[in-house]
Amino acid sequence: MALIVIAEDEFLIQDVLAMMLEDAGHEVEAASHGVAALDLVKKLRPALVVTDFMMPLMTGLELARAMRANAELRTIPIILTSGAQGSIGRAEPEMFDAVLDKPYREEELLASIDNLLRGAS
Amino acid sequence: MANHLPRLQTGVPGLDQVLGGGLIEGASYIVQGSPGAGKTILSNQIAFANAAGGRKVLYVTLLAETHDRLFQSLGTLDFFDRSQLGISVSYVSVFQTLRDEGLSAVVDLLRKEIKRQDASLLVFDGLLNARDRADTILDVKTFVAEVQSQAAFVGCTVLFLASTRVSDDSPEHTMVDGVIDLHDELAGVRTVRRLQVRKSRGSGAMGGYHQFEISSSGVEIFPRLEIAYAKPSDDDNPEAPRVPSRVAGLDELIGGGLPTGSVTLLFGPSGAGKTSLGLNFLSGARRDEPGLLFGFYETPRRVEAKARALDLDLHSLVDDGSLEMVWNPMVENLLDKLGHRLLQAVKQRGVKRLLIDGLGGFERAAISSSRLVEFFAALTNELRALGVTTVATWELRDLFGPTVTAPGSEISSLLDNLIMLRQVEVGSKYKRSISVLKVRDSAFEPVIHEVVIGNNGLSVRLPLEPLSGASTGVGSRD
Repeated sequence: MALIVIAEDEFLIQDVLAMMLEDAGHEVEAASHGVAALDLVKKLRPALVVTDFMMPLMTGLELARAMRANAELRTIPIILTSGAQGSIGRAEPEMFDAVLDKPYREEELLASIDNLLRGAS
Repeated sequence: MANHLPRLQTGVPGLDQVLGGGLIEGASYIVQGSPGAGKTILSNQIAFANAAGGRKVLYVTLLAETHDRLFQSLGTLDFFDRSQLGISVSYVSVFQTLRDEGLSAVVDLLRKEIKRQDASLLVFDGLLNARDRADTILDVKTFVAEVQSQAAFVGCTVLFLASTRVSDDSPEHTMVDGVIDLHDELAGVRTVRRLQVRKSRGSGAMGGYHQFEISSSGVEIFPRLEIAYAKPSDDDNPEAPRVPSRVAGLDELIGGGLPTGSVTLLFGPSGAGKTSLGLNFLSGARRDEPGLLFGFYETPRRVEAKARALDLDLHSLVDDGSLEMVWNPMVENLLDKLGHRLLQAVKQRGVKRLLIDGLGGFERAAISSSRLVEFFAALTNELRALGVTTVATWELRDLFGPTVTAPGSEISSLLDNLIMLRQVEVGSKYKRSISVLKVRDSAFEPVIHEVVIGNNGLSVRLPLEPLSGASTGVGSRD
C-alpha cells in the first residue's frame, strides 16, 4: 500500500476519494488546489498523485508540468480525473500516466492505481 | 454630456435591454431568487456568451453540488460548450478555503485567480454561505467590498448568486451596484417567471417586472412592451396615401381605403365575416408590400384552405414570400412574448399589411388585464411608427342582442378605425351587415350595408334595407 496525494478542490469529491483510497489500504493526503498539492508532493514524495483538472491557483495540467519539470518528482505517476478535460489530458501523454473521465467507477480508479504502483515498483 | 459607462453584454435575449445596455464593466451585481428560479442557468448563459466572445470567465462555487452534476444539467442547454471548460470558462470550488481559512483567505484566493485567469467575469455562486461564515455584518461588508474592488481593479464584472432574497437593507445589498431578482410564481394554475432589476447604479434599467422563460436555448427575457416601446421608434406619417382594403365596395365607404399606418378593429360575433374580410385585406400583400397574419385560432393550413374557399390564393403569396403566417396556439402564452414576437416578425420582413386574428389572444395571455391599455397603446404606436396598416379582429360574445361587448372604451380609443360586422335577422333570413363606426381623420359613410361572402371573398353590397335594430342583429322593418 502507498502514500497518495489527492489534488481536488471540490470537498465532497475529495472526501469520498480519500475514504475510498483509505479503505483500499492507502495512506492519503489531500489538497484543495494545485499549489497546495505541489507543496505536499515536494514534502511527502508520494507514490502517486490523483488530480482534478480545474482547480484554483494551479490546474491539474500545471501541477503535472511542474512535477515533470522537477528531476526529483518527474517519475511519480499522475492520474488525471476530469469531467470535461479528459481529452486535454490525453493529448499530453507525457504528463499523465492515466486519464479517467468523471464520473468513473471506484474499481476503475483502484485498478488504475494498482497498475501504476506495480509498474513503478 | 452624460458619461456612458462601458458595458459587458450578457448575451441573454432581452436582458441587455432591461439593464439599459448590459452589465456595467467592473461592477458587481447580486442575482437572487429561490431554488429553481433560474439563477444558475442565467449566470452560465452569460458566462458562455462571453466565452464565445473571446472573454475569460471564472465561476466560483461554495456549494455542495459537484461541478460534474452541474455540467450534466447544463449539458441539456444549447449554449453549454463543453470544449470551453477549463479553457475560457473555469469552475473552481473555494468551499474548503472558506471552511478552513475564512473569508479573507477566499478574497486572497479570488484575487490571485481572477488575475491568473485574466477573467472579465466572475460568478460567485453561494453568497449566503459566505455570509454564514462571517462573524459580524462588518465582515460581510468587508468581504463583498474586497471581492468587488479586487475585481473592479482589473475590470472584471462580478455576479454574486444568492439562493434566497437578500433584503433591501442587508449589507450585501447596500454594497453592490445592482440587484437582479428572479421570481417564479403561480398565476392561477400556471407558473410565470418574472425578472426585476431592483437596483442599478449608473444605469437606466427598465423597472418593474419582465416576463421570461427558460427553454433549451436558455433564458429569454421579454421586456414589458409598454416600457420597451414607451416611445415609438419613429414618427408616423398621417399624410401617407390610403391602402386599398381589397374588399369590393368598402373603400368607397371609408374615404378611399384604410389610412396607411392605421389600426382597424373589425368586431362582430363568430361567423360574421371578420376573418374573411381580413383575408381579403391580406390578399393585397406583395413582395414590396409584405403581409403578415398573426393569428391565434387557425393553423396556417386551415387559413389557406379558408382563403381558397373564398377564391383567394394566399398559398402563392406565402410561396413567393409576400405573406407570412404566424400561428400562436391559444395555450399558456406570455403577453410580452407575443408582443415582441409580432413586432419582430413585422420588422424582419418590413411588413406593411398586418392581420391580427384576433386581438382577444393578447387579452387571454395577460396575467393582469389592468395593463392591457398600456400594452395596446405601445403596440399600436409602434405599428404606426413602422408604417404598418393593421386590421385586427375582435370577437363579440353574443351572436344577437342589444349588448355589444367591444373592447373597453380606452382600448377602442387607441384604434383608428372601427368596423362592425353582424348577422342580421330579416324576416326568416340572416344577412351579414357592415357598419363603419369610426375612421381616423376622415369622413365615412354612416350607413349599414349588406356584405356578401362569395367569389373573391367578401364584398360590400348595397345599403341594407331600412330596418330598426340592425346593429343589434335583430332587425325589424319600419
